Amino acid sequence: MSGQRQGFRPPGTVFASSSTLPLAAASRPGVGHPPFSATGVFTSTAPQRHLNFRMPPLQTQTAEALATLQKLSNEYEPEIEGPLVGKRQSSQAITAEYQNADEIFVRKTAVLPQKYSHYRTVKGDGNCGWRAIAFSYFETLHRIGDKGRILEELTRLKSLNNLLNQAGFAEHLYEDFVQETLNLLSEIAYSLPTSSDDAGLLKAFNDPGISSAIITHFRLLTSAWMKTHVEAYQPFLLEDTVEQYCASQIEPYQVEIEHIGMNALIDALILPAGLAVEILYLDRSVGVEVNSHKFERMDASGAPLNPDAPTFRLLYRPGHYDILYKIEDVAALMSSPTNLQVAYATPVTYGTFQPVPVVPVSSDMSTYLEIPGMSTPFVPVTPSAMSPDTYTSPVSPALSTFSTTTLPLRPVGDIGGFRPSKYELEAEFHPSPMPNLPFQTPTFRNSHFNPAHFRNSDFQPEMWKPDTADSGRGHKDDSSRH
Amino acid sequence: MAGGQKRIGKELAEVTKDPPEGITVSLVSEADIYNWDIQLEGPEDSPYAGGTFKLLLALPTDYPFKPPTLNFKTKVYHPNVSNDDKGSMCLGMLRSEEWKPSSKISGVLRTARNLLIEPNPDDAVETQIAEQYKSSRKDFDKIARDWTKKYAKA
Repeated sequence: MSGQRQGFRPPGTVFASSSTLPLAAASRPGVGHPPFSATGVFTSTAPQRHLNFRMPPLQTQTAEALATLQKLSNEYEPEIEGPLVGKRQSSQAITAEYQNADEIFVRKTAVLPQKYSHYRTVKGDGNCGWRAIAFSYFETLHRIGDKGRILEELTRLKSLNNLLNQAGFAEHLYEDFVQETLNLLSEIAYSLPTSSDDAGLLKAFNDPGISSAIITHFRLLTSAWMKTHVEAYQPFLLEDTVEQYCASQIEPYQVEIEHIGMNALIDALILPAGLAVEILYLDRSVGVEVNSHKFERMDASGAPLNPDAPTFRLLYRPGHYDILYKIEDVAALMSSPTNLQVAYATPVTYGTFQPVPVVPVSSDMSTYLEIPGMSTPFVPVTPSAMSPDTYTSPVSPALSTFSTTTLPLRPVGDIGGFRPSKYELEAEFHPSPMPNLPFQTPTFRNSHFNPAHFRNSDFQPEMWKPDTADSGRGHKDDSSRH
Repeated sequence: MAGGQKRIGKELAEVTKDPPEGITVSLVSEADIYNWDIQLEGPEDSPYAGGTFKLLLALPTDYPFKPPTLNFKTKVYHPNVSNDDKGSMCLGMLRSEEWKPSSKISGVLRTARNLLIEPNPDDAVETQIAEQYKSSRKDFDKIARDWTKKYAKA
């Protein structure tokens, strides 16, 4: 489990028996990040190790003792460890984290790595939702790898200063925050196309000064956006005016983002950048998979305006956001963001549902992926070109089932001579070019061409064995020959 | 942190050039921009009138992402100032969960002075003083005036 949540104990719980203490701590950062213990229930052990304070029986407490307790409670800061933004890692870790949790979590987290192979922790310090969106915004622009587009974003964000002015923020107070955002954007833009890893972004986001400034900039933007689009957000606020809500929930530095703030942040920052966000909700709701909701630009009828908009994903667990990746996003992040060469292979395994393109192969990386059974010459893969820390296998052996796919294939009769396969494609089948499709077929995942196996020393590729694959006929042939 | 220093410099310039009413600001030491000396004149319509109160405003190194702290160096009888050698002043806007990086120090100082005119007994650090402020205002005013005479007049 991600280190930072392990240390969490809700500070309020030590006083659980007292209803008379209005615990300010309950609104403190960190409390919004309930601890998920391995059993999937909120851990409620008293935080004695933090609060070195032995509680006398309630009835004997004097006002002074209560005041002391209140003071301790007010000053309580949960111990949060770990980097502000962590390294990308296999989402098998999430499965492992929940292996002893209740059935719903086990089921949902078991299938999670099949679709979302990697994830990245974000520190739960009261800013995780903001930080997760901010980091992903930069990372996705970097992944797209289009310098012009990043410079456009830089101009757009600069011009949004007008919105900040309109909302009444003083320029000399916000300009330092905005500057950090612009600096990082231009750093990314000018690092292209040579930089292909996330080291620069990680470094910037783990610098508290830069990270905090960017988050503050985005908070102010969100606040200004809400104040200038009151009609869109007021209906969702029950008691507060938009002005009050921004003052108490958006602008203060350590207040965690709520759903409405998330909406406004996405409206102000992400959608106008031509990006989309998908949030996956891991909770106890009924279902086999995590629920997801995609935030994207839509027309009046609710149809997406740009269904192919580059999308990033967040994993939401009550009170906490982390960043989630699909395997193809990771592949794109791993390869250099220069022009991609896309080759298309004859779909051997996909058949009716999707044609299979060979994964984008960049000229400067020798990551070479191909489909088993193709006659393309095999280019050796240099494992050192991959980041070994991040590219662990997203496929759990237990999970990779050999599902049957419907294929437009028909068995070919014994035609003698060389035949690459006993199956042949229907003549009218043509693959349509579709770039960047995921490699999710069992055949690919279990083949030695999947680079995800590089770190798995126990990996055994599927092999064709003449004895077992076609044993019946083979033996008959053998016997008839003798 | 360079960013924080730049911001503090800007705010110091602003407060020096256009100080809030009844407030004078200077640095404790020229070499240290994180500690500010504040001279606060007791507001006219309060029991603190006629006194000059010395305060220390301390800015954290990660300012403006963390709030400053404000301490009375001059003893003062007030429900929201701790009656000890620290003299901590409890301002809502300085709580870490309420602090906004876009707040200004001049705003903090203005709020502090307003609290002398209008104490907030429901959010008190000195509960007994708050009790007295609510139940027998005259006694409160008298002690506050006496303390002002005793401690806040040079």
